[in-house]
Amino acid sequence: MVHSGLRVVTALAAAGALLSACGGTGSPGASASKTIKVGLVTDIGGLNDKSFNHLAYVGLQKAKSDFGVQGDVTESHSGDDYVPNLTNYASKKYDLVIGVGFLMQQAVGTVSGQFPSVHFAIIDGAGTDANGTDLKHSNVESLFFKEQDAGALVGVISGVLEKDGATPKKSHKIGAVGGVSIPPVNHYIAGYKWAAKMEDPSVKVFVGYSNNFTDPAKCAGVASSQISQGADVLFQVAGGCGLGVLQSAGQAHVYSIGVDADQKDADASVIASALKRVDVATYDAIKGVKDGTFQGGALTFSLQNDGVGYQADNLQLPSDVMTAVQDVSAKIKSGALTPPADIPDPTVP
Amino acid sequence: MTVLSDIGHLLLTADLWHAALAAAVLLLLPALGGVISERSGVVNIAMEGMMLTGAFFAVAADLILHDPWLSALVAMVAGGLMALIHAVVSIRFRADQIVSGIAINIFATGITVFLINRFYGLQDVGHLPPSELLPNLQIPLLDQIPFLGRVLFQQNVIVYVALILLLLVHVLLFRTRLGLRIRAVGEHPEAADTAGINVYRLRYGAVISSGLLSGLSGAFLAIGISNTFVPNMTDGRGYIALAAMIFGKWTPFGAFIACLIFGLGQAIYDNNSIIHVSQYLLSMLPYILTLVVLAGVVGRSQPPAADGIPYAPGTE
Repeated sequence: MVHSGLRVVTALAAAGALLSACGGTGSPGASASKTIKVGLVTDIGGLNDKSFNHLAYVGLQKAKSDFGVQGDVTESHSGDDYVPNLTNYASKKYDLVIGVGFLMQQAVGTVSGQFPSVHFAIIDGAGTDANGTDLKHSNVESLFFKEQDAGALVGVISGVLEKDGATPKKSHKIGAVGGVSIPPVNHYIAGYKWAAKMEDPSVKVFVGYSNNFTDPAKCAGVASSQISQGADVLFQVAGGCGLGVLQSAGQAHVYSIGVDADQKDADASVIASALKRVDVATYDAIKGVKDGTFQGGALTFSLQNDGVGYQADNLQLPSDVMTAVQDVSAKIKSGALTPPADIPDPTVP
Repeated sequence: MTVLSDIGHLLLTADLWHAALAAAVLLLLPALGGVISERSGVVNIAMEGMMLTGAFFAVAADLILHDPWLSALVAMVAGGLMALIHAVVSIRFRADQIVSGIAINIFATGITVFLINRFYGLQDVGHLPPSELLPNLQIPLLDQIPFLGRVLFQQNVIVYVALILLLLVHVLLFRTRLGLRIRAVGEHPEAADTAGINVYRLRYGAVISSGLLSGLSGAFLAIGISNTFVPNMTDGRGYIALAAMIFGKWTPFGAFIACLIFGLGQAIYDNNSIIHVSQYLLSMLPYILTLVVLAGVVGRSQPPAADGIPYAPGTE
């Protein structure tokens, strides 16, 4: 009896693991020996995050149809999954293993050291040791984004709207809700705050964190707090958790701004989205392996090479907003303006 | 010291307590489930998985049925079915209840992600319009009371349901014959069996109840507070509920007080945009509070004597 009980338990756990593995969309049947095999490992946000994990998958899909590579995906459910998931692909001699997200830095650092003949790419980070120091393994390509460029463009939109008194509460107060205080999140917020204050020096920018990337209720709580402080444009930088920001803004009849992908459909309150073209970066990394131009080291995607950008959504933006956005965009591209990577005056809203 | 005055100001706002109560109820429902299950002698750490399953099925059902009430019911059934697995494994097969609980939590993460990919592909799971969410309910007149009206009488309908359930579970466990039997089965199943009580049936019922309550909490999270499903959206609430249950010495009201402390901590943390202290320190607040209260006030927590021990008649 006890034995059969344990068997049931083991089977249950195995079924869970198996089901989540099936959740990825493996493509069997790549038979030719020259077929390049790419393994993509998501962070805990999962493929449906409508954000960077999803975009990495879009890039992989495009590479599959353009180059005929074999692409497999594994979703991670906790931080403990990163190393085994990466190792799984590396040990099967995949040509390129892609880790999606800053949270996987250390795992990519560890596994890339163990499999020097396998190419690795990591979105938003490098292969690091436990202290976050880049190990500079030559088989690792770090795909960085200047999120501050995209953050600045949506910051201009918020700033000009506030200056014009064109926001729902005309409060000269805006907010940003970050997931966890990590560089890719703070870059966005830094550009946003900097640009909003540039356009409307009187604007207050509340910056809060949910300490989470998957739970909309937590982000909704932070958003509600900012709304009760008077913020009437809220920028979410928290992946799936941030959907709660968009929803809260909608319920309170204020504006919101989406992140990473175009989040127009998530809520009617979304007036714009800051875009991060993780799909482009993923595609380029795969192309590099296919063409034999994979170099290792850091690649930076910015406004200049269309690696980041913005999208206007559920609001017809006034012409002076559009003019200001185009102006700042041109100046960032030319180098006349450089959005900061660190949040300016973090203790002052 | 500005930090303390910031928090002090917050504590005087009704909005904070309103948020704290809602956050507490998310924990209270699974915690009540845990109390019932463990009082009957079955350790239950699977509330997290049951809640997550409930959250998923609430959204999936609501997208099809366009009816939040039916969807909440579907969520409860889904949670109940997960609990049934735990019950069969730990009561019928007498497997280790901790291992079974962990397995269910892993299984829940897997099955929800699998079902998303199966039914929604890589599309968004879908967002529900406000009219199809579990509604906020303003209690007429009472909601006009200054401060208290906002805190107590402008809440989501599930908050009222949970507070009623709190009372019911307390009465059930400590004022009814059935409750006495449940507790007897959790303290000394052999004696209860000898007295003619069906140990298995009571334990099955208790474990399944914990699934129903956890599933309801999942529905509150996904189609009450949020309007969509995100993988792992329960974010460990089932485990916090477990802590609340132990902190509350396996009693409904004890667990409720613990949930309120955790909920208050969460609500204070939500204001980290305006509290001038490291958000990491702030996020530790509910846990520090718990440790202090646990060590200083509550004293020793004693689980039911037969908690976690499978009942095998005639082995002793």
